[in-house]
Amino acid sequence: MERKTVSTCPFCGVGCGIVLHTRDDRITWVDDDPGNPSSRGMLCVKGRFGIPFVQHPDRLTTPLVRRDGELQPASWDDALDIVAERLLEYRGAFGSFASAKATNEDAFVQQKFVRLVMGTNNIDHCTRLCHSPSVEAMLVQLGSGATSNSYIDYEEASCLVVVGCDPDSNHPVIASRMRKAVDDYGTKLVVVNPKRIDLAERADVFLQPAPGTDVALFNGMARAILDDGLEDREFIAARTEGFEAWRAVVIERTVEEYAQACGVDPHALRLAARLYARPPARRGLPADERPGSCLAWGMGITQHTHGTDNAHALINLALLAGQLGRPGCGISPLRGQNNVQGCGDAGCIPDSLPGYQPYRDDVAARFEEAWNAGIPREPGIKATDMVERIATGEIRAMYIVGENPLLSEPNLAHAGDLFRRLEFLVVQDLFLHETAELADVVLPACSFAEKDGTFTNSERRVQRVRQAVPRVGQSRPDWEIICDLARRMAPRVGVDLGQFAYRSPAEIFAEMARLTPQLRGISYEQLDREGGIQWPCPSADHPGTRFLYAESFPRGRGRFVPVRQATPAAELPDADYPLILNTGRVLYHWHGGTLTRRVQALMDQVSEVPVTIHPGDAERLGIADGDEVVVRSRRGRLTGRAVVTDAVRTGSVFVPFVKLRESAANFLTNNAYDEPSRIPEYKVCAVRVEKKRPWDAALTGGWPTASRDK
Amino acid sequence: MKVDGRTAPETGSILDAVLALGIHLPHLCKDDNLPPIGACRTCLVEADGRVVAACHTPAAGVSEVLTASERVARLRREVLRLTSRMHGREPDVAGGPRSGEIWAAYEEHGLERPAFPRRIRDGTDATSPFFEFEEQACILCGRCVTACQQLQHIGAIGIAGTATSARVTPGAGATFASSICTACGSCVAACPTHALRPKPMSDPAQAGRSRRRGNGTEDR
Ligand code: SF4
Ligand code: SF4
Ligand code: FES
Repeated sequence: MERKTVSTCPFCGVGCGIVLHTRDDRITWVDDDPGNPSSRGMLCVKGRFGIPFVQHPDRLTTPLVRRDGELQPASWDDALDIVAERLLEYRGAFGSFASAKATNEDAFVQQKFVRLVMGTNNIDHCTRLCHSPSVEAMLVQLGSGATSNSYIDYEEASCLVVVGCDPDSNHPVIASRMRKAVDDYGTKLVVVNPKRIDLAERADVFLQPAPGTDVALFNGMARAILDDGLEDREFIAARTEGFEAWRAVVIERTVEEYAQACGVDPHALRLAARLYARPPARRGLPADERPGSCLAWGMGITQHTHGTDNAHALINLALLAGQLGRPGCGISPLRGQNNVQGCGDAGCIPDSLPGYQPYRDDVAARFEEAWNAGIPREPGIKATDMVERIATGEIRAMYIVGENPLLSEPNLAHAGDLFRRLEFLVVQDLFLHETAELADVVLPACSFAEKDGTFTNSERRVQRVRQAVPRVGQSRPDWEIICDLARRMAPRVGVDLGQFAYRSPAEIFAEMARLTPQLRGISYEQLDREGGIQWPCPSADHPGTRFLYAESFPRGRGRFVPVRQATPAAELPDADYPLILNTGRVLYHWHGGTLTRRVQALMDQVSEVPVTIHPGDAERLGIADGDEVVVRSRRGRLTGRAVVTDAVRTGSVFVPFVKLRESAANFLTNNAYDEPSRIPEYKVCAVRVEKKRPWDAALTGGWPTASRDK
Repeated sequence: MKVDGRTAPETGSILDAVLALGIHLPHLCKDDNLPPIGACRTCLVEADGRVVAACHTPAAGVSEVLTASERVARLRREVLRLTSRMHGREPDVAGGPRSGEIWAAYEEHGLERPAFPRRIRDGTDATSPFFEFEEQACILCGRCVTACQQLQHIGAIGIAGTATSARVTPGAGATFASSICTACGSCVAACPTHALRPKPMSDPAQAGRSRRRGNGTEDR
């Protein structure tokens, strides 16, 4: 039988509409959805051709329980009984990772389980590893941690400033929309990236700063705006605070000094600043509208030991230029996973309740009333700290849903040691990945194509996910597994069974909407009738919100936060490790590659880790394009294929963090953290690159991660 | 506005109105996602007595549309007959979702196909792991080029050459694999003839390629 199911793409945070074509319950083709306002009929290679992971034979089909040191198949009842029994022992020494790939409903049920049944706020997800500094900075300065604009604003902007991200690889459909702006409307484009990304080809200004010097760069742009008198004085006076104190810090140095600090041309820096603050009107802009500028950034800003400072410096720029709260402008941290926004909205973060509501008595009381039991009021431990605190015994058991920290944490050898010290580890996922191999119990979860629910994309659009194929093996949706588990534990901790008796994702969504002000007006009926809706949507008759901050900021006035350039990074090159490693992604794989490695066509396209190196460095090291090379840091090593191009700066090496042929960049990266957000410094560490010699064969690969030596 | 005597909305193009009523009308160069190109002329209708291409004629201001009058049916049949001279045999593998459009149009207009088996352009390009291109099935409608250029703003492919040497290509001597193509698949989704078509999804459970059936167009 042939069927078509309208759903939402499970890869990046763009959230494209997809139509799954199935024949006799097998996926045969993935079509675009012309009616979807986020993707407008576009898809990228992953969404179009990357879906076969769903029905891959490697999928976990039964629960696995460790017996005599081996993971062995078990029934659901046995597996869940064991998990229930053991987890009860670890209340107070427990942490949980939620999945930004799962649905909002899965996430909501998981945080409810952790808070209500496990009695802790130790729940977090991968946002800690990607945009926690952005969220941290936006909360302090504006009072909300979401993208302020919509993708349509990229097409309506007169200038786009794209910083520290490579949309062509990570958000390809956003890249298409940005190219459309430049091609069709003459929008100005400023690209800031240590690597010459594809989008730089269309850029009016391309700045290639030295790694880790972002604060200097943005302070330099601010200084240039002040020098030229291009700041938006009206906006500053009416909508912001802290301007004078901030200004005093920025004018400590001149544009030339700032430019020198980050190794860019001061004229280019001034030009970029001018374009951002006062771009010339794009073609077709109504005469009475002020030309707007959008600021979009990615992990190049956040994954530094001063990631939060970087984000502050950017947001200061937006406040200075008044590029917020109108069509065609705004600020966008581009989200990496399909549902990072939603997973945070649903409350899978340690420092606030669903909807970013604080642990204030009146707020907590509403949740306690709805859930009929007490919840903890202390902020929980953040993801990266949960891992580090396994060492101190503060965390002794973990429940990890849809995440693979042993590929995504920095300094994997170190993380692996810590995970082996856990007393009890439950992993719930699609595949037996590196972390699952260490687990005591592995629970098979359904993919997005086997369940109903919602994802929330980078532009805050809540969209439906619909079941297209039957569940693979005995796998079950995350929410169902967690409810089943919670029901086994609830009576023992004084929680009503009824709190985990949902019959459908729609019921879960309804509860979440009741408790979360920005989602209050959204329901499944409305999503099915009208398509995706952008929060805030406070009431059922509300159309959703295209851009935030039109009138005011959630915290009242926008706040300038003065920041100064700190040491560029925790680890800088020296004689032994003379090059700087920068990590990122490739178009054809998604993150660590747990999903995309299972799609043959994607593997045919990129099967080995590419190591991008500048021709000058390559020549000095005797490396030619296509050579096998070994990259080492103080923490580990990997083997990859050299790609020699001047797209990277001299002295730096770029390696995507996908794991191919046992090689992964995170064996090299540094577990040094940004203080306020606790994000690791993935973007800078010191390495050495050598051509692989024949006797290096034994070195191929990373440290062993699969062994378990408790 | 009336279409074949039935009331239709006057927003958008005549083609939108026709399709909204569920009336079959070929529209080989008009993609759902894209503005009309107006190249193929297979969507001809009679609008207030004039013969126009439905895809790029606005519905507003038109009072009566005929899709099946003897005159337009004959003209469309003629256009389709000329179109059928542009390609060779129908490939016997599954195409993309819109691939059936051309063969269905022949069927509806009572045409044997291909009317004039010919092949000057008959290259294939299977260098992309994701999709393949069989030139002899291409009608040069340009949908793929428009999808790549105007939807995705990539511009990896174009139509090079003129007359019988015209061809869709990622550049002289270039293959999809060696071009700037990002394998987004928009061109594949757009192609109405399965000249561009997905490689079968690497699905171990689905042995071999399925032959496409239906539209009375089994390979002979
Ligand atoms: S390949 Fe397909 S879409 Fe492209 S011109 Fe040929 S027939 Fe048209
Ligand atoms: S698959 Fe390649 S040729 Fe086709 S539209 Fe995408 S980029 Fe262009
Ligand atoms: S569809 Fe109207 S001219 Fe081709």
